[in-house]
Amino acid sequence: MENLTLNALFQQILIGLSRTTILFMVASGLTLVLGVLRIPNVFHGSLYMIGAFLTYTIAQYFGFGTTGFWVGLAVAPLLVALISIAIERGILRTLYDREHLMLLLFTFSISMVLSDAVKFVWGAKFRSMSVPPFFEGAVDILGMPFPRYNLFLLCLGPFLAFGLWFLTNKTKIGKISRAASVDRDMVDAIGINVSLVFASVFIIGCYLAGLGGALIAPMQNITQGMDHDIIIEAFLIVIIGGLGNIWGALLGALIFGLTSSIGILIWPQFSIVLPYIAVITVLSFRPNGLLKSVW
Amino acid sequence: MFNGLFSKKSFGLLILALIVLALLPQFLPRFYIYLLAVILVAGLLATSLNVVLGFGGMFQFHHGVFYGFGAYTAALVVTKAGLSYWLGFAAAPLTAALLGLVMGIICIRLSKLYFGMLQISLGSLVWVVVFRWYDLTGGDDGIHGIPLPDIIYSTTGGYYFIFAVTSVCLLLMFLIACSPFGRTFQAIRDNPERCEALGVNVRRHQLIGLVFASFFAGIAGALFVVAEGSVFPDLLFWSLSLEILIMCLLGGWFIFLGPLFGAAAIVTLRIFGSTYTDYWSAVLGVIMMLTILFLPDGILGFFRKKTIKSEE
Amino acid sequence: MKKRVWLSILVILSVSLLTFSPSAFAKPLKVGFIDAYSGPASVYSNDVVDAFKLEMDKVNAAGGIQGRQVEILKRDSKFKVDLSLGHAKEMIMRENVDILAGTISSSVALAISNLALKEKIPFFVTFAKSQAITAEKGHRYVFGIAENTTMAGKAAAAVMAKKPYKKYWIAGDDYEYGHAIAESTWEMIKKINPAAELMNQTWWKVGEPDFTPYITAISSAKPDMVILALGGRNLVPFLKAAKATGFADRFPIWTHTATELSNLRALGKDAPLNTVGTSNYHFYYPETPANENFVKEFEAAYQRKPAVGALYGYLAARYIIEGYQKAGKVDSEKLIDAIEGMTVDSPVGKVTLRAYDHQALLPMFVGVTASDPAYPDFLIAKDIVTVPGEELVLSVEEVKKLRGK
Repeated sequence: MENLTLNALFQQILIGLSRTTILFMVASGLTLVLGVLRIPNVFHGSLYMIGAFLTYTIAQYFGFGTTGFWVGLAVAPLLVALISIAIERGILRTLYDREHLMLLLFTFSISMVLSDAVKFVWGAKFRSMSVPPFFEGAVDILGMPFPRYNLFLLCLGPFLAFGLWFLTNKTKIGKISRAASVDRDMVDAIGINVSLVFASVFIIGCYLAGLGGALIAPMQNITQGMDHDIIIEAFLIVIIGGLGNIWGALLGALIFGLTSSIGILIWPQFSIVLPYIAVITVLSFRPNGLLKSVW
Repeated sequence: MFNGLFSKKSFGLLILALIVLALLPQFLPRFYIYLLAVILVAGLLATSLNVVLGFGGMFQFHHGVFYGFGAYTAALVVTKAGLSYWLGFAAAPLTAALLGLVMGIICIRLSKLYFGMLQISLGSLVWVVVFRWYDLTGGDDGIHGIPLPDIIYSTTGGYYFIFAVTSVCLLLMFLIACSPFGRTFQAIRDNPERCEALGVNVRRHQLIGLVFASFFAGIAGALFVVAEGSVFPDLLFWSLSLEILIMCLLGGWFIFLGPLFGAAAIVTLRIFGSTYTDYWSAVLGVIMMLTILFLPDGILGFFRKKTIKSEE
Repeated sequence: MKKRVWLSILVILSVSLLTFSPSAFAKPLKVGFIDAYSGPASVYSNDVVDAFKLEMDKVNAAGGIQGRQVEILKRDSKFKVDLSLGHAKEMIMRENVDILAGTISSSVALAISNLALKEKIPFFVTFAKSQAITAEKGHRYVFGIAENTTMAGKAAAAVMAKKPYKKYWIAGDDYEYGHAIAESTWEMIKKINPAAELMNQTWWKVGEPDFTPYITAISSAKPDMVILALGGRNLVPFLKAAKATGFADRFPIWTHTATELSNLRALGKDAPLNTVGTSNYHFYYPETPANENFVKEFEAAYQRKPAVGALYGYLAARYIIEGYQKAGKVDSEKLIDAIEGMTVDSPVGKVTLRAYDHQALLPMFVGVTASDPAYPDFLIAKDIVTVPGEELVLSVEEVKKLRGK
């Protein structure tokens, strides 16, 4: 493998890390909802896809310039959060007491409807938007051109991690939701409106999905099937990280992102298998996930 | 739970249904014979899932893996090894059961949601390998034109074969469910701690149930090869597994014939739905939501409850 | 009460769906198209069926084929094999189509070809290019109306092998077409230039969303030339990424159909310059009356310039129309006998359908992408070299060997 120089490896690691940001964002939203509300939210992936499509449309409205991108980034996840509020208050809320299997199937059904809704609104053609002019081009890192937008994502990662840590550890809503995920009856007994807490956590989780979709929009094709691809990855990350554990999600995202990008360098024909092998390896030694699961 | 099957009235109905299904190919146009064959295969698959889902209460989220694995086994035995289909048919349930055993041993230490999600992970790995191992499995192209013995090559011949095998397998599964093992299995579903306390090896029973379920799923996979003549990696994809779950739920998972009924409904909807509308996925999703909200016992379950109520 | 109402509706719906069936009494001549009418590949497929329809409309206006009106049915394959097979079976068994046509995906084409053989229904492959379609897996009931991967590979290799490239990298879509085109191109290059070496290969899935990690990995290896085995679904997205990351500027790349209008139109200003491409059709070349008329008619009907798909659709229609004419009646076996070896006129000249393997002997145009002020919205091909089809196809002997005869 004459191309396996240290530089090449380093660059692939960086690419992998930039992908990790998005994976972490989506997976953390999923694990939040799973941990606090105990809902395996299959339509989390659909929200991600909707976030990407919305960002495209908003950016298109502004002529695909830099403004369009930032407006899209700001507005699309909010719209996604709105959609999730509607779904939660409308139908999901009635099922909180049902078994997990029912919830899983119900969220799966919603994802099927959302997926076709996207097809209905945007048509079946794929979309692609370019990176906004501000992020065009590449930066020279160790002699290799590294796309600017990936650098942006790379830098975003730590901010995201910090933000989530702050949210769960330092804010009131964060602390209450952590308590509620462990013992919701107790929280209820203290007089806190558990229903409101659940709704807030759900919205935050869905917002993260939408934001992930918005961020990925300039980087890849926005197509049908995006939801299926991301949801399986997100679920796997959540499993190896530990259900409900945000830092577990970060760890899982790192493993997933790095193994796939390094795999492309080392084993280009079978690179997609590597993250799955990593998952199986982790689960063989730590079947409950790397970090402590919330339940 | 399924004792309704042996009461005098429904036994007679059952015999009538069997006779009708056996005679139908004489009257129906080819397309509908093909459709019935596909329904029977799906029904067998859904019932095999229900062995662990409805009777065992296990969160089998990726049952499709065993189905696809059996189908690919049969296909590869015929196309790559050049052997006869009958050998492939025999090999399919065995390899599927083996996969069920291996995956079961890994997953069984966990329960409920965790079990299900771990199974999805392992199943996805199997899917990825089949999907990417182009030289062996043809990857996304799938394997087509699988040569079949002349008897089952035609639409009608294939149908009769599938009908016969499915009936036998359904009977076998019914007998398993009625057996002492089956009763223990259901008791484990209702209260695992109590069974543990009574000295039942819960894990071992669940593992055996899993092997049975994957065995029959493997047979369904081999039958798929007869009905369609091809295999594709989508057979191992998680969304198909969730569809099978939906079939069980829609039909009624506490009733033995529920999944078969659900399979008939879903397959019919899928084939006709996708011809008339581009959005049949949403239609299915809505039906599912309505079922979960209003008919948690499934369609057959709903009717059964009514019969019980009217009898009271 | 609510449950009962909903339940009854469901039952009624199911029963009516089951019993509803298209009228068996009208007798149009049905042609069933299965193709990717949604998703990225639809830019190609629409041209095929549109041109086909244009020809059939003329025939219908003149009384139809043997007095029967031609009806075109369309089903969306979504680039998925299982869906397509289901549609094909439905069209054969329920709609009783006389002819099947389509599709752009080679995998789908091979699967349907198999079915066509079993059901003895003529299947016109109107875009898919894998050599296996008419060679290894060819048979009496399948017709290759598009060029195949051997032809494209030979044409491209002839151009590339002349350049001083030594270290090659192959990257592409992990499916039938991708592997087929990579193989035929590489074989040809090795034959012309034995010193060429293959550094490594990268394969991604069809519908791969993010090419960046692959592009960076290949870049770090610094090959002399990259052979891109891109199919209908990934081609436009990949070329876009290639331009955006600067990959197309740093490395010479070739991909079949890079110079084709459907792609260049879809890429717009995101199309990379100086990419070598091979194509079967350009609306601006050759500047013959046949081509100009064809373009005028198509543009009048559909308000856009025809791309290569239109040529395939046109050819398929001509073979069917003239085939039935020669056969004298609407009979599949007679049709097949009639069109074996038939030559029809087309915008690119006379095209013969070879009798042995049913492969249309289309000429190939090899060119390089460049901009032209006459066409501000898309790039076009310049420095075009024409290679006649007869020079590009496998000989009948080679096909026989591949079929194991």
